[in-house]
Amino acid sequence: MPRPPSDPPRSDLLKGTLDMLILQTLTLQSLHGYAIAQHIARLSDGVFTVEQGSLYPALERLQSKGWVTSRWGQSPTGRRARYYTITAAGRRQLGQEVSNFERVLQAIQHIMKPA
Amino acid sequence: MSLLDSLRHRLRVLLRPGSYDRELEDEIRFHLSLDAMQHAQAARHELPGDEAALAARRHFGNVTIHKEDVRRAAGLGFVEMARQDLRFALRTFRRNPGFTAVAILTLALGIGANTAIFSAVNALLLRPLPYRDPARLLKVTLTVPAHGGNPARHGMVWSYPKFTVFRDAQTVFQDLTLSTDYQATLTGSGADAERATGEVTDARYFPLLGVHPALGRNFTASEAGQPGGPRAVILSHALWSRRFNANPAVLGTALDIDGDPYTIVGVAPAGFAGLSGHADYWVPILSQSRDLYTEAWNHSFTLIARLRAGVSPAQATAQVRQLGTRVDAAYPERDAALHWGAEAQQLDATRLAPVIRKSLLVLLGAVGLVLLIACANVANLFLVRAGGRRREIAVRLAVGAGRTRLVRQLLTESILLALAGGVASIALAWWGTHALAALGPSSLSRMQRFSGLGAVTFASIRLDVTTLVFAGLLALVTGVVFGLVPALQSTHPSLTDALKEGDAIPRGRGIHAFTARNLLAVAEIALAIVLLAGSGLMLRSLGKLLRVQPGFDASHLLTLRLNAPNGFGRDSLPQFYQQILDRIAAIPGVTGVALGDCPPLNGGCNGTDLVRRDRPAPAPDGMPLVGVHWMTPAWPAVLRVPLERGRLFDSGDRVGARKSVLVSETAAHTIWPGEDPIGRPVSVGQGGFWDDTAYVVGVVGDVRFFTLDSLPSADVYLPYAQSPSGRMMLFVRTPGSPLTLAAPVRRALHELAPELPVYDVATMESRVADATAYTRFSTVLLALFAAVALALATIGVYGVISYVVAQRTREIGIRVALGATRRDVVALVVGQGVSIAAAGAVLGIAAALVATRVLRSLLYDVAPSDPWTFSGVVGVLALAVIFASWIPAHRAASIHPTEALK
Repeated sequence: MPRPPSDPPRSDLLKGTLDMLILQTLTLQSLHGYAIAQHIARLSDGVFTVEQGSLYPALERLQSKGWVTSRWGQSPTGRRARYYTITAAGRRQLGQEVSNFERVLQAIQHIMKPA
Repeated sequence: MSLLDSLRHRLRVLLRPGSYDRELEDEIRFHLSLDAMQHAQAARHELPGDEAALAARRHFGNVTIHKEDVRRAAGLGFVEMARQDLRFALRTFRRNPGFTAVAILTLALGIGANTAIFSAVNALLLRPLPYRDPARLLKVTLTVPAHGGNPARHGMVWSYPKFTVFRDAQTVFQDLTLSTDYQATLTGSGADAERATGEVTDARYFPLLGVHPALGRNFTASEAGQPGGPRAVILSHALWSRRFNANPAVLGTALDIDGDPYTIVGVAPAGFAGLSGHADYWVPILSQSRDLYTEAWNHSFTLIARLRAGVSPAQATAQVRQLGTRVDAAYPERDAALHWGAEAQQLDATRLAPVIRKSLLVLLGAVGLVLLIACANVANLFLVRAGGRRREIAVRLAVGAGRTRLVRQLLTESILLALAGGVASIALAWWGTHALAALGPSSLSRMQRFSGLGAVTFASIRLDVTTLVFAGLLALVTGVVFGLVPALQSTHPSLTDALKEGDAIPRGRGIHAFTARNLLAVAEIALAIVLLAGSGLMLRSLGKLLRVQPGFDASHLLTLRLNAPNGFGRDSLPQFYQQILDRIAAIPGVTGVALGDCPPLNGGCNGTDLVRRDRPAPAPDGMPLVGVHWMTPAWPAVLRVPLERGRLFDSGDRVGARKSVLVSETAAHTIWPGEDPIGRPVSVGQGGFWDDTAYVVGVVGDVRFFTLDSLPSADVYLPYAQSPSGRMMLFVRTPGSPLTLAAPVRRALHELAPELPVYDVATMESRVADATAYTRFSTVLLALFAAVALALATIGVYGVISYVVAQRTREIGIRVALGATRRDVVALVVGQGVSIAAAGAVLGIAAALVATRVLRSLLYDVAPSDPWTFSGVVGVLALAVIFASWIPAHRAASIHPTEALK
């Protein structure tokens, strides 16, 4: 489907940051997959779109590592949906990834804006 | 707990993959429905429901691929995929039961035959000898260099005095032992008299081999270390079970061996039958008669030695060679110019006679070729089927299946087929190993030529873990070999071609696929030719062998061995044996009876020097070597050996009369070339004929005493009455079936002398059959393999031609429409087969000319490049190919143009 030209330019998620964004999103509340994708897209003003093709494998990966668990529940529209919840280990992991990310971000800023 | 959460998740995925899949689908459907709503809203007008859903679909991308990605992330990749592949493969097999059955049977045949032959190779060539640390065991033998007309001799056995010289001087072995097998009569202890094989040896024998008595003990120093000690015997487990009902109380009781009482001191472990492979008991050398261990020229013993720690086989071999000189110096040959030596080789290297080793390896190679052909055939089946599945595979590639995934899928099918073939092959292998084991030592051990280490026997051939593992690996490798080519080939079709409707004439990839099929058929033909040529040569050789005239008439002859009981002096023997002859001759149905010391085709008899007395004595190394035989006067008549000149022995040739000998034709030609031997004086090196002069009284026809395929030797016959010996063989001729005489003959002998051991009762025909048993067996086996190869190759050609006809239906239809006759079409199709066959034949004959060279030592009177055999092979092949193309050719000829072109 042809995209409306008014759409803001999108950026592919930096590799490896998707896990962090998902974990961050889940710190607020348990969400189903579609809501996670919507949330990330909305908060980034459409700069990040989560490709469905990477969302579900990522969720699977996070579950395999024990950072996220899932259970089936009712969605607001009354349909059954799988809700993902961050675990304590997931929160620890998120903390680590955020501090890593900040270090990288600082370094990039130093380079781009030399003092 | 992250670990626990993670584990729980993974377990759920692995254990319940079905529900995992369903949930994943639910989740994606939920996602798509929300996205569809989103799209409907975003468009700000009502999209029809299905269009919104379509938009969501497009937005989501390829559902199947995403699902695969999730699965892979879940670690289900391997397990789940294998499961799917397996399920898919089974479904495919169920849909094509004919294809599956043919493929499995073909593979079962190939793998089973390989497993059976491998089990023989494993038992006879590979399995370690059943002794402690067998790699450290060496066999030490004596050698005589070539002298006069006699070739050098290796691997000769030791005399006890020579052994003591060697033992006392050597420093490279930690342990040495002597042994030899002999036959004796066991009596006493309440059981029947029985003839059994034992070994005479020393106290080091059991410890050196690492064999511990299952019961009792080894010989003590007083029993085995000095002459005249207490007589002791160790029983084999088999003899102990058979004769003593495995009663442990036999220890300390007596067993009579050839009339002398021996105290039973031990029982060997089950399955141990000595180095000879058929020993039932062991007695010390020094408890035997003095001449066995005091005569330096009584060469009887096999010497086995265990290397001292830190000494390499090469070092030991070097010292053995030096010590050979010392032994020679201690006991020099009469001919001062002739020096004996000694040499050593790994015991393991002596385990099998070279002829059997060679033919086993040839069979292994042949059966490997059969498997290759089977693989080519199944690969061809796969290619043909892949042709039919082109569209299916193209569709799967188009909707996003990865090529690796498809190759894996196809390989799963082929490996599964191969494993099924492997399982089915066990039945064939089981039967094959039993047939091989039944060849047994009984029919082979008689043949000296086939004797390797006695302990390594055909009877030990069986399906064991090693052979089953071999079969499994072979099945696996087979599956990959025949599956990989078709799998790779069929997974990169040109998509557009394959997807197009009406795949009329193969183009692009199609032609390549066709070429691969052609190549496989050519390879099959070539391999089949190699096998056909090899087995053709062996069959021709066997045919010639069976037509060999052995020099006597084997039909209607009963033979058995006798041993004069103890207490008979040499002088009373002729009278005793005359009683036997008279008694047997009186049995109804007996038309002739005689005694001889050695049956024909025995793999060799006694040999000695012969010297002409009517000439100056030649140099010792110039004396001709002859075979020497003892017989009663009727022997040539009973065996129907023709008298060529002079007379046979008669009752006048007895002790006190002038000594007489008969000579064979070959002896007459070689010793008296151009002269008449009758009346010539000779001396013969055995039987008391050396110091006296004997006279040739007659010439008889040649008899093959060694083997069918070796030329008759120069033989000389001594009259039994002038040189009696205790061990003789009885030959009984009858017009009827010889075996019906066995019981009356035994009864007559028993009445005459109850203590007389009678053994080795067999018809002469069965002895002749035994003499060719192994050759016949390996030839028939090779012919069987060749027949299977030919059948498989024919099926392969048939498959290819049928496929080509199916592919060219339209083209042929056009040809017919344009006026081609039935005959033209048949010629076209058969021509296709012939061109494949011609290519295969050229390759195959070239390969066969090289390959059949290895058969040289196995062939009798046939050259490895025998033109008759090779033209026969080509003829058989041509027939097979024409037969294989005939059916498809006629199918093609009946193609109706209007049908084909519709």
